[in-house]
Order: sequence, then structure tokens, then C-alpha cells
Amino acid sequence: MSGGDRLVVGVDIGNSTTEACLAVLAADGDVRWLGTALTRTTGVKGTPASTEGALTAVRRALADGGRRAEELDVVLLNEATPVISGLAMETITETVITESTMIGHDPATPGGVGLGVGVTVSVADLGEHPGDEPAVVVVPRGWDFDDVAAALNAAVARGVPVVAAVLAGDDAVLVSNRLTQQMPVVDEVSAVEKVPLGMRAAVEVAGPGRTIRTLSNTYGIATVFDLDPDQTRQVSPVARALTGNRSAVVVRTPAGDVTDRRIPVGVLELRGAGRTVTVDVDAGAEAIMAALARVQPLEDAHGEPGTHVGGMLAAVRDTMADTLGGADPGDIAIRDVLAVDTFVPAEVRGGLAGEIALENAVGLAAMVRTSRSRMQAVADRVAESLTTATEIGGVEGEMAALGALTTPGVQAPVVVVDLGGGSTDAALLTADGTSTAVHVAGAGELVTKLIDAELALEDREVAELVKRWPLAKVESFFHVRHEDGTVQFFDEPLPAHVFARVVVLTAEGPVPIGTRHGLDHVRRVRREAKRRVFVVNTLRALRQVAPGGELRRLDFVVLLGGSALDFEIPDQIADALAGHGVVCGTGNVLGDQGPRNAVATGLVAAFAGGAG
Amino acid sequence: MTSLEIPQRTLTLTETGPARRGTRPDEVVIAVSPAFGGTFTQTIVGVPHAEVLRQLMAGIEEQGVGVRIVRVWATADLAAISHAAARLSGSGISVGLLSRGTTMIHQKDLARLSNLELFPQSPLLDADVFRAIGSNAAQYAKGESPQPVPTRNDQMARPRWQAKAALLHLKEFECIRDGAGPVELEATIERVAG
Amino acid sequence: MTAVQPRNATGSRQSLRTEVLEERPVNLDGFVEEWPEKGLVAMESDFDPQPSVRVEDGRVVEMDGRERADFDFMDSFIADHALDVATTEASVALPSGQIARMLSDPGVSRSDVLAVTRGLTPAKVLDVVKLMNVVEIMQAMQKMRARRTPANQAHSTSARDNPLQVAVDAAEGALRGFAELETTLGVVRYAPLVAIALQVGGQVGRGGVLTQCALEEATELDLGMRGITAYAETISIYGTESVFVDGDDTPWSKTFLASAYASRGIKMRFTSGTGSEVQMGNAEGRSMLYLEIRCILMAKGAGVQGLQNGSISCIGVPGAVPGGIRAVAAENLVASMMDLECASGNDQSFSHSAMRRTARMLPQLLPGTDFVCSGYSAVPNQDNMFAGSNFDTDDYDDWNTIQRDLQVDGGLRHVREPEILAVRTKAARALQALFAQLDLPAITDAEVEAATYANSSNDYPFRDVLADLTGAQAVMDRGITGLDLVRGLEAAGFHDVAENLLSVLRQRVSGDLLQTSAILTADFVPLSAINDANDYAGPGTGYRLEGERWEQLKQLRHVTSATNPETEVR
Repeated sequence: MSGGDRLVVGVDIGNSTTEACLAVLAADGDVRWLGTALTRTTGVKGTPASTEGALTAVRRALADGGRRAEELDVVLLNEATPVISGLAMETITETVITESTMIGHDPATPGGVGLGVGVTVSVADLGEHPGDEPAVVVVPRGWDFDDVAAALNAAVARGVPVVAAVLAGDDAVLVSNRLTQQMPVVDEVSAVEKVPLGMRAAVEVAGPGRTIRTLSNTYGIATVFDLDPDQTRQVSPVARALTGNRSAVVVRTPAGDVTDRRIPVGVLELRGAGRTVTVDVDAGAEAIMAALARVQPLEDAHGEPGTHVGGMLAAVRDTMADTLGGADPGDIAIRDVLAVDTFVPAEVRGGLAGEIALENAVGLAAMVRTSRSRMQAVADRVAESLTTATEIGGVEGEMAALGALTTPGVQAPVVVVDLGGGSTDAALLTADGTSTAVHVAGAGELVTKLIDAELALEDREVAELVKRWPLAKVESFFHVRHEDGTVQFFDEPLPAHVFARVVVLTAEGPVPIGTRHGLDHVRRVRREAKRRVFVVNTLRALRQVAPGGELRRLDFVVLLGGSALDFEIPDQIADALAGHGVVCGTGNVLGDQGPRNAVATGLVAAFAGGAG
Repeated sequence: MTSLEIPQRTLTLTETGPARRGTRPDEVVIAVSPAFGGTFTQTIVGVPHAEVLRQLMAGIEEQGVGVRIVRVWATADLAAISHAAARLSGSGISVGLLSRGTTMIHQKDLARLSNLELFPQSPLLDADVFRAIGSNAAQYAKGESPQPVPTRNDQMARPRWQAKAALLHLKEFECIRDGAGPVELEATIERVAG
Repeated sequence: MTAVQPRNATGSRQSLRTEVLEERPVNLDGFVEEWPEKGLVAMESDFDPQPSVRVEDGRVVEMDGRERADFDFMDSFIADHALDVATTEASVALPSGQIARMLSDPGVSRSDVLAVTRGLTPAKVLDVVKLMNVVEIMQAMQKMRARRTPANQAHSTSARDNPLQVAVDAAEGALRGFAELETTLGVVRYAPLVAIALQVGGQVGRGGVLTQCALEEATELDLGMRGITAYAETISIYGTESVFVDGDDTPWSKTFLASAYASRGIKMRFTSGTGSEVQMGNAEGRSMLYLEIRCILMAKGAGVQGLQNGSISCIGVPGAVPGGIRAVAAENLVASMMDLECASGNDQSFSHSAMRRTARMLPQLLPGTDFVCSGYSAVPNQDNMFAGSNFDTDDYDDWNTIQRDLQVDGGLRHVREPEILAVRTKAARALQALFAQLDLPAITDAEVEAATYANSSNDYPFRDVLADLTGAQAVMDRGITGLDLVRGLEAAGFHDVAENLLSVLRQRVSGDLLQTSAILTADFVPLSAINDANDYAGPGTGYRLEGERWEQLKQLRHVTSATNPETEVR
């Protein structure tokens, strides 16, 4: 190495990965990039435990660049902004059926077609049923389909007007195929024993590919049961609940009802801009975000103690306090909140057949930040281990922007948007070198949570796969239909466990998703979750750093971070920004690192600039 | 589980000629082994073959799919039986059955030794499971994505059933007719009076 | 739950005693009548061949009533590679009764017996052992076992494939005395992490323990060659040509695989057992024991040092026929009388009856074998991914008590709780540190805490399966070897564990573990048929449970102190 050259490594300790960038700085300020490395962050970012990962990254970068540790002159660490985020999901509505007034689970294979109105009678009592009253026969579990059909046929032969049947088992087609006289049959009513007997009831089944017409219409129900206007008003929610079904049962009971109840889930208290605003979480995302806008910049937020929101915000505060090595949780402030409206499929209370209703829910991400950092402790340990001078090089956002400038075609002023796991961060670097950084709550983890909840997967790992990879339907052992409709053929048969399934196409091959939903539905949920988090947050963050809050005054926007590698998020953001005349794309640090390594590269660049 | 007793039913399987390849895309072919419903009348745990077939067919019928039954004479190997049936099936989907109850859902494009769903623990298969297997096979035939029927497991099945399974397997082997092609069957299931 | 048929279908009145007996666990086991024509018979069949042998020009031209032209490939392999051509005609000519007496007579040395048995044909071997009752078989086993010191082997697996559970239960198992540890997987892709965990846990529990991971053959060999595992066992062989062919294998392909292990100094043994052929419907009309003897001779001919047998996963078949467990005892003896290491079964769920479970293992425990169980479950059976063993962790205290009652060494000992907790914590910490060193998915402190006190996989926090599987793939992709494990353990400050593992790896250079019945002591001294040869020659000779080892085995969980009867011995 010629005299005056210095070997420098920049290290960025992130939430999940630690990255390093190795370069030689010539005396004239010229920078020669030698190598990079990426490893898993050990412990919580910025705590002493993260030293180990930093050292690993340094060693790997040295190996990548063909250098030895003894040659190192300076190690540069990022001033990590300790940002910690928390997530919560609160269901805020609940559908309740009282007095078993309706059955609307929409079984896959009902039997017969048409509408039957009569009085509910147990199949066991059908023998004694008077011949003049139309019967809606209720069949409990344990009855064989042959026996049910025989009992119904016998009653019909006796002259009993049997107009419909409601079955516990999955037998509707089997029974229908054995009837001498056709009638609508609804099956898979798991709690059929709760159907009130001796009540007027209507059963409707539509043909394949069609939906019911009478019981999904308020006036249809009014006609069937001869209701007065007050009663009609009362059954309106029943009709709404049955809309779109192929089959349904409505039982007329004295006080039967379907209600859509709001669940109080606590109050959120937002403090900032010299005032405090409270908002009920069950008012929904829009109300929460409106309240947040009124107190910008947010100074702190509290949830009502004893509620889930209160618990979630307290947990975020406690984690941060631990990270900072015993700070008082009371001193830690929540600096941003993102609320997202969502739907969660939930079993209806009072349902007889496991009916599922899409309940409203609010997803909340909260974020804490503090200026205190223990990065010096990490720097001391790194210096000791490598016996090399170690400096804390600069704040993350500014460094990221400097690193992003190595992307071909980019120049200051530039805004970098780091699409992370817990928070979305933006930093503006102006032409004269001044920088502004903001952090907003909500990123990749919230997207995963929304996908998990809305598809009722109850499996974070599967939700993560859905987020990361495109979908396809396996139509045969030799071809799949991709989510864009194109077909791909294979020479080797696909594995048996993916046959006929909706799959995610991962790098290791197709992985089936355990869901009843079709591909289109899964895709819609995935894209909406990404839009509601990343597009919304990118716009929120950009407005905070843009001069005068006007997006059109921005020139270059560079997307960085793990989610910038996503196959659709960058496009969604670029589409949203297109109307504002902004150049937006995924970064390509050093021309070959993609959206990775920006901070580590920026650290070296800043050091070179300062030294030069 | 059903609380009512299963009524006695008889199963008569009548050969109607060589098995042919189906053309209807909405059919599932059930293939039974050489001794099924003949030398043997029940599974290893005593589920009557009449009930096994009735529930499989019911599961298929409930999905609105047609069914044909064939017997494979030339082998008692479940994969071979099931795969032969899949190739006869208009939908490419089959259900293969051994006399002791072991069952498999197969598809014509799969390798013979592969399968869509396999139920190897014959002592754990009851009427409800056979119904669910029929239902899933029919859903595959319709191009739907059924959740696989949960397979059960019992470590203590070995001491109780392993030897009997071997014995039944040997007996089934005795009924093999080398070189005989698969035949079409007509199943008559009748309730025993009284 | 196993579906149970009503046994009394007639509805006639039953005695109260019959009701009690019907409820006994033994009546949940299945029993069948023999069917010798089809091979559903333990060892006494009119359909087995009669012994014969003829040698011409140094070549066996007739064996057990079959001319060379009619040999199947098992016959050819045995005739060409297993039989000692020089002695076979003379040995087969000896009366079977005389050979049987040589086996059970302490006055005849082990090597004198071997001089005869290495020339015996399969039918002759069967003819000899058919003359022996269970006590004579045990008496013979006591002498014919290759290694003087008996030992035991354990399964350490996890229903959730949790590497941490495998590591800590391996550590506890090693501490309790198992000389070998074996694992396998539910989700096969987990294998690299679980194999690493088994190795690390084993070396924490007791330096020198040998580990293996049962997988399909290619991956198992790969892990062995990398030094992540120390030996291999699940290389299955069968007694008829048709079963071999069904598995796309031949005696030669299995032998080639065996030589691949030997080329790297890796210990390995084959696996076989009575009942597998009839279970698959291809017994060719021979008794279970006759076919198993063919397997044993095939193993001998392949040149492997040992065999795992004792019916293994088909135990329900011999267990259901008359004399079946005698046949199982005999097959273990035949392995030993062919001078092979014998890992003697007792490794699969065998009976609902605790009494039957115990009786089944006495013919191995009492005389001692090279490994009394070739898979005692060192995890609760619910976590046993080999489908359950005849004994599991619940039986530890019973096993220790039986050893103490009968003064026999079954390879285990009672260990006090603090020591167990200490090695469990240490194994968990070592694995945690190694995973961090190797950039594998993190193990949290909460998991370490749970692992220390856990019984089954249910007691552990859930792991991120996806991250684990990615990590497992990375182990394979990055070419991680046993030396990387040593390096990682050393860097993480687990110097003694690193040293233990390195010492085990060094054995493959010396090749000492290729000797028959080799295990490693805590001082890393290989103990094999070479330097620890069985020298039993009657009362007062051979391995005796005495001295320091006997003092160890006198310890139980609760023993009232003679010094102060108000306390228990600590």
C-alpha cells in the first residue's frame, strides 16, 4: 500500500442485518471500493450484544476484499437511531345472532333448488307430524343419508307437505338425489340441535353459480313471514348478512336478531403541538390518523390502561427502556402511530354452522425513538477486538443518503426511503449537504400481520411467504397458472403436495398455502396490505421532509432496505409518486449492491469527504 | 362419530367386463384389490367393505361427481392398483383400496410410487374417514383444492396390528390372478332386512 | 387411539374375572396363528431348506440343497463372500447338537466357536440355534458378544424437530451412560441442524459419545463425510432377493456404500431383522429366522463390522407368533457368533403390557450385548421420531432398578438432578453459542431456560421453522463440516466441548472405530473386540459388574441411608 493510503471499513448495524463496506482511501481523497459483507445482527441493534455481528461483518468484508485485519486503519460505525416499533391488532366489531334466527354459512354442496317455507320439525318426530302443515325437517348428527331420504319420502307419501330440510352432516346432495319430491336442502349445520323447533322457517337454495334472491332481500323476508313495517326494519340486518350466499335458512323467532356491535377497545391519547387529543380506537383508522394530524409533531401517545392498546404501547416503551440499559419507561416517548383499517374473519357468535363474518379491525403500529444511544459501547468493544481505531461515523439517514448517491444516475438533492421491518425512514440530503431525517411507524412486519389476519392464516411464517413471493395455481402436475394469468409448463412433474393448490413460488420451489380462498383473493389482500402500509407511509414520510411539505419539490427518491427488494412494493410506490413528477426507483448502491449496503457505503464516503 | 349403530348391509360386486378408460372428466375411479368384497368382507378393524365402499361413493356423490368401480386382479400393491385406476379415470383421479382398509388417492400423471394422499394406518380408518377420502378425491377431480384428510397416527398400532396386517396381506396375495386385466364392477349394496 | 372391536360378539354372559382379564393391557396386543407355507412362522418350519454344502476347486457349488446354477443373488453373495471355503465342508458336517453345545459351554473358547461358525451355511446355523432354548441362547450370547464391556444406545429426537431438545436430551442421555446416540427427523430438511445439535449435546454430556442421524442413504453419507455425525447404522438389508430388488438394491450396492464409509474411517453397521420379508409379502416360504440368518451372513460377507438386528421395526410380526421372541434372541446371537458387533433391538414400541416389554429385553440385558437397546428412547416416546421405542425416559428409574436388582450392567446409571440440570444448561448454551458463531437461527435465553427443565417438546417455546429450515439449507450450501463445529465451539469459549468433538473426529484418521464393536471411553480410548475382547470362560470370568461401576449402579433416586435411616443416600 502506498504511503497515505488508508484502509477503512464502514459498518451498519441494522435491526435484522449488519452490513459492511471496505474501501481504500487515497491521500487525494480518491475512494477505491474493495468489498462488502452482510450478516445477521446479533442481539438488539445498538446494544453491546450487536458487537459480535459487527465483527463478523468486518471479517467477511476483509475476506471479500482480500485484506487482513492488521491492515485496517479505521472502523466506522453508524449512529443507530434507536427506533423500536410495536404492533397491535384490535377487532372492533362483532356480529351476534340471537335466538338462532338465521343460518348463513354457505355450504359448498347444498341440495335441491328453490324456497321452502314451513314449521321446523325434527326428523325423529316427522312420523307424528300433522298432514296439513308444511314441514321444514331438521336432521341431527348421526342420521345416515339413506335413512333421512327414506324418512322424508315416507312423510311425503303420507301426504305431509315436506318443503325443505336442514342437515347436520355433509349429506345434502346425497339426500336430494334420493328424494321422490325435490326441495331445498341445507347441510353442514354443525349445531343443528340449536335450531328452535315448532317455529316458522324459510329455507332457500339457489342453483349452482347463482345466489339466493328471497332471503337476501328484506322485503322478501317480510313477504315470506308476513311482517309489519316495524318487524321488517328489524330483519333488515338478517337479509344483509345473507347477501351473496347460495343457500340460507331464516327462522322466525319472537326476538331473533342479527346485530353488528361495536366493541370498545380503549382510548388512544395523543399529545403534541401543545395539545392533547383523545380518540376511541374503535372509531377506526381514519379517525385516528385525523387526530394524529391535528397534533403533529407527535410528542407522546398513551393507551388507556387495561386495554389492549394500552398494553401494546406500554410493551413498546418497556422494550425500549431495556434496550437503553435501564432507562425509565416513563422517559420514553411514542413518536409516531400508524393506524390501518382491516377486516378479520371471525366466527359469528350465536351461529349454528360456524358462520364467518368479516369483522372490522384496526391495525396499529407505534414507534419510539430516543437520541440516547449506546453505540459508543459497541465501538469500544470493536476497537478492542480488532485493535483498530473505531469511530462513530454519522447518523443513519444522512449516511444512507450519501450511500444512495453512489447509485448510477442519482444526484443531490435526494431523498432516501428505507423500507424496513418496523419503521419506514426517510432522509433528505440537499445539494449543500444538509440533511433531515424522519421515521414513521409501520413497515414490513405490519404488512405480514395484515396478511395473516385478513386471510385468517394464523401462521406468521406462511403470511411472510405470501408477502415475499408471487402466487400461482397448480393446475396439473405439469403446469401452473401464474397470478398474472400466464401459464408455465414443466418437464418434470411438480411435487404431489402442491397439486391443485394455490402456491407461493419461492426460491426453493412452490409452497402450498393452506387457505380456502382463491388466488385472486389472496393477491388482492397482499397488494392492499402493502399499499396501505408502504405507499401510505412513504407519502407520509416524504411530506415531512419535502420542502414546504410539497412532494413535487422533490427530485430523486431512492428506495432502500429489505422491502425495496420486494417484487411489487417499489412499483406501487413509484406509481403513487408518478403524478408528482418525482423520479423514484430502487437504489443500486455502488452500482452493484442493489438497495443494500447504503449506510455502510455512506459512512466510508462521509469519512473520505471529511478527510479529503 | 355416529352414535347410531351401522345397519348390516351386504355388498355384491358383479363383473361387467374389462375395465375401460373413462372419457367423462367428472368421474373418480375406485379400484379395489383382488380379495376386496370377496375373500374378505371387512377391514382389519372390522369396518364392513359394504360400508367402506358406500361411504367412499357417498363422499364422491355429494360433490356431484360420478364414480366407477374396478377391480385390479394382477397385483395387491396399493400404489400399482391406485395408479392403474388413475389411468382409467376420465378425471385422472382414483381411489385405491386394499382389503385391510389401506387407502390412497392417486393421479394419472404422478409416478406410480407417489400419491396425492395416502392413508397407511389401516386400523385407524373408520366410516367418517372413508367419506372424507371420497369427498377429497371428487374435489381433486373438479380441480378444487381440498384440505388433505388429516392422517392419524398411533405408535401402539404396531404391537396390535402389524402381524394381522401381514397375514391379511399374504391372504390378499393368494387372490392375485397373474396376467388378468382390471375389470369393471357393478356394486350392489343392500340393507339386510330386520 | 386404536379402534377396538368388541371381543364378545355373542352377547353371552361373561365372568367378572374374564372382564378383568379382558381389560389387561396385554390383550391390546395382536397375536396370530402361524402360516409356515407363507413364512409367517418364527423359526420352526418344514419349508426351510436342509443344510448342505459342497466345495469344488475352492468354490462353493452347492449350498443348503441348491446347486450354484440355481442360486439367487443372496446365495451367490453368501457363498462367495461369507463362507470360509476352507472349513465349510468340515463345519457343516459337524452334528448340529455338538455346535450348539460348543456355543453354550463355557469351557469352549469364543475363538474355538468362531473357527466353526465361520464355515456354517444359513440352514446349518438355523439347525444349530433351533436346538437352543432361551437360557442356552443367553448363555451363548454371554460368551459370543464381541466386546467384553456391554453398552447401550439411545434415540434423541423431537416431535417438532427442535434442535435444542435433541441437544439437551442427548447431553442427558450421554451423562446417564449411553455410548451411542441416534437421531432422525420428522421434517427431513431439518437434518443438518438436528445432527449438529446431537453431536454438540452428546459431547457436552460425555466426551467420546458417538452420534448418527438416520436419513436416506446419500444425505446420511454426506453428513458422515463432513464429520457432523460419527457413524451410520440405518443401511437396511433383506433376506430375499425380491425384497432387495423392490428397494432397487443388491448386496453389492449395499457393500459399495459400506466401503464409502470405511474409506473415511467412519464406523458403520447394517440393519436387518426378522419379519421384514413376510411383512412385505415376499418371504418366499421361509421362516423369519432363516431369512434373518441370510441377512447376517450377507453383512458378514460385505465386510462391515456390525449389524443392528432383533426384528427392529417389524417386531410386531415375530411378537405375534409362537416362539417369536426366542427367535429374536437367536438372531442377536447369530450376529455375535458371526463375530459381528450386535446392536440388539429393543428399539420399537413392542407391547401395551409393561411385563411383556420387560420380558422381551431380558435375553439381551442379562447376558449383555454390544448395545442392549439399539435405540432406548432418551426422549419421551411422544417425541420419538422412530415411531416409539420399547423403553423411554419414563422408564429410566425402572431400568436402573432392574440393573441393581439383578446386578447386571445395562449401560445406564442413575444421575442426580443437579448434574443433569448442569449438562442440560451447558448443552443448550453451547448450541446457542455455536448457532450464533455459524450465523444460524438464534436460540434465545428463554429457550435455554425451558430446555434445562423440559421433559418433552411441548415444554419448549416454538421456533421459527422457516428460519430454521433456511439455516439448515445454509449448513449444506456453505459446506460446514465437523471442523467448523470445533472452530465455532472454541471461538465461543466452549473449549472442552470443542476438544471432545475434535478428539472424536481424529478417530477417523486412526481408523480405530472401524474395529468390531468399537466405542470410545470418556478418555477417548477406543474399546473394541481388539483391545477389549470378550474373554468369558465361565463363572468368575469375563465382564463382571463390580468395583466402582457397581457402586455407581447401586445408586437410585430413593435409597434409605443405613447410617441415618431418616435420610436418603445422596
